[in-house]
Amino acid sequence: MTVGGLEAVFLANRDTLLRFLRARGAGDAAEDLLHELWLRVSGAQAGPIAEPLSYLYATANNLMLDRHRSTTRAQRRDHDWSDAAGSTVAGVSDTPSAERVLIGRERLRRAEAALAALGERPAAVFRRFRIDGVSQREIAEEFGISLSAVEKDLQKAYRAMIELRRQDDAG
Amino acid sequence: MNRPRITIEDEAIAWVIRQREPGFADWDSFMLWLEEDPMHAQVYDAMAVADQDMDWDSAAYVAPAPRPLAPPARHDGGYRPSRRRAMGWGAVAASLVAVAGYSLLLPASASYAVETRAGERQSVALADGSRIDLNGGTRLMLDRENPRFAQLERGEALFTVVHDESRPFIVKTGGATLTDAGTAFNVVRAGDVTEVAVSEGVVIYDKGAERVTLPIGRRLRAVDGSRAEAGDTDPGAVAAWREGRLIYGSAAFATVADDLSRNLGVPVTAAPGVRGRRFSGVILLDGGADRAVPRAGAVLGVSARREGDGWVLMAGSDAER
Repeated sequence: MTVGGLEAVFLANRDTLLRFLRARGAGDAAEDLLHELWLRVSGAQAGPIAEPLSYLYATANNLMLDRHRSTTRAQRRDHDWSDAAGSTVAGVSDTPSAERVLIGRERLRRAEAALAALGERPAAVFRRFRIDGVSQREIAEEFGISLSAVEKDLQKAYRAMIELRRQDDAG
Repeated sequence: MNRPRITIEDEAIAWVIRQREPGFADWDSFMLWLEEDPMHAQVYDAMAVADQDMDWDSAAYVAPAPRPLAPPARHDGGYRPSRRRAMGWGAVAASLVAVAGYSLLLPASASYAVETRAGERQSVALADGSRIDLNGGTRLMLDRENPRFAQLERGEALFTVVHDESRPFIVKTGGATLTDAGTAFNVVRAGDVTEVAVSEGVVIYDKGAERVTLPIGRRLRAVDGSRAEAGDTDPGAVAAWREGRLIYGSAAFATVADDLSRNLGVPVTAAPGVRGRRFSGVILLDGGADRAVPRAGAVLGVSARREGDGWVLMAGSDAER
């Protein structure tokens, strides 16, 4: 789909996208964000886009996630020494890299441990889904289990990951 | 409003999971869920950001040798933090799931799969003029917003890449990163084996501590968990599968059988007794499996016997039992 085609889909679904942005918590900024959405998709190096409307939704969704990140960052900034650097790049901590590598390793090790604690299958299902990007249907076939069993395993694993992150944020 | 937060969290997690499915399209239902309660969007944000921050690239284990500590952040020398993503939940390495820089984060649906069944072939033209030919039984993840990236999950693909000094073409497979330097190269990912063969230009294979430069006429074979081995290959033979030929120099029969399966669309296996035997020569694929497999058997000096939907290559004496 060309940019022209994408524009047509964008225009035809303008109201729905606006409604989506509002539902995502855009509030009064919804119109501005819709504009930003258009800048983002029209500026992207577009390859073929099979499902333009889904693509617009997904981009809008990520726009809101980015916004959430910067808001959270701004709130943290008051107490955060890293602001002193002045050159903070979006989403990048200024902790020196060697230290970051160690922190990252430690977090990954703990995440691995938390996964392992769930049992072999949920851990394996999570890996196939989240790391290898395999669909739930395929995972169900691979493991010879039902789709709802895959869903439950994933929910369990995600929950464990969220709890772990919560500990990190608190600590 | 009165529902417990934990329930909302579980629902939000379910959406995050669903949206990671290739081809997720049910945005309408998602919108309805969000509209039920403003709290939903807030909780969803937290869960989705947590999910994005999980960086599971296996490269985390082979993190680069610690660099000297950068000057303290207050130092007003030229220290700039790397544009690479912070450690959030993992490593420095970028991958399909770990994108460099939040500002560059791609929509979940920007990546899409191209998949062929066994025996089926497909060509994909990318926006930058590069081309990818997929052999049968292949699954490849591409990124709409980054035409210079592909992840080969399984199968075989020939990458004919338009070279761009400032933006190398990256292929990820089996935990390794392949970087082009003006190139056509063939990649096979089957089970825990990665094979790369270069027919033009140069490819750089990079997996953890291993870094191998592969010029034209070189090939590399890596089994997960052990060192990669490099060897020579005939550049003209690298992607002969596209012309209906398979060309080998001392390939294990097991590999030949995998190639036949992928190309012909029927399962072909090598019996345990002959799997390790080696073959050098050319196998023709035309005429369909019913003709090609017995003919391949004759070239390999084994019997091809039908078994169920597929074929088994076995030593002549075994076949007669």
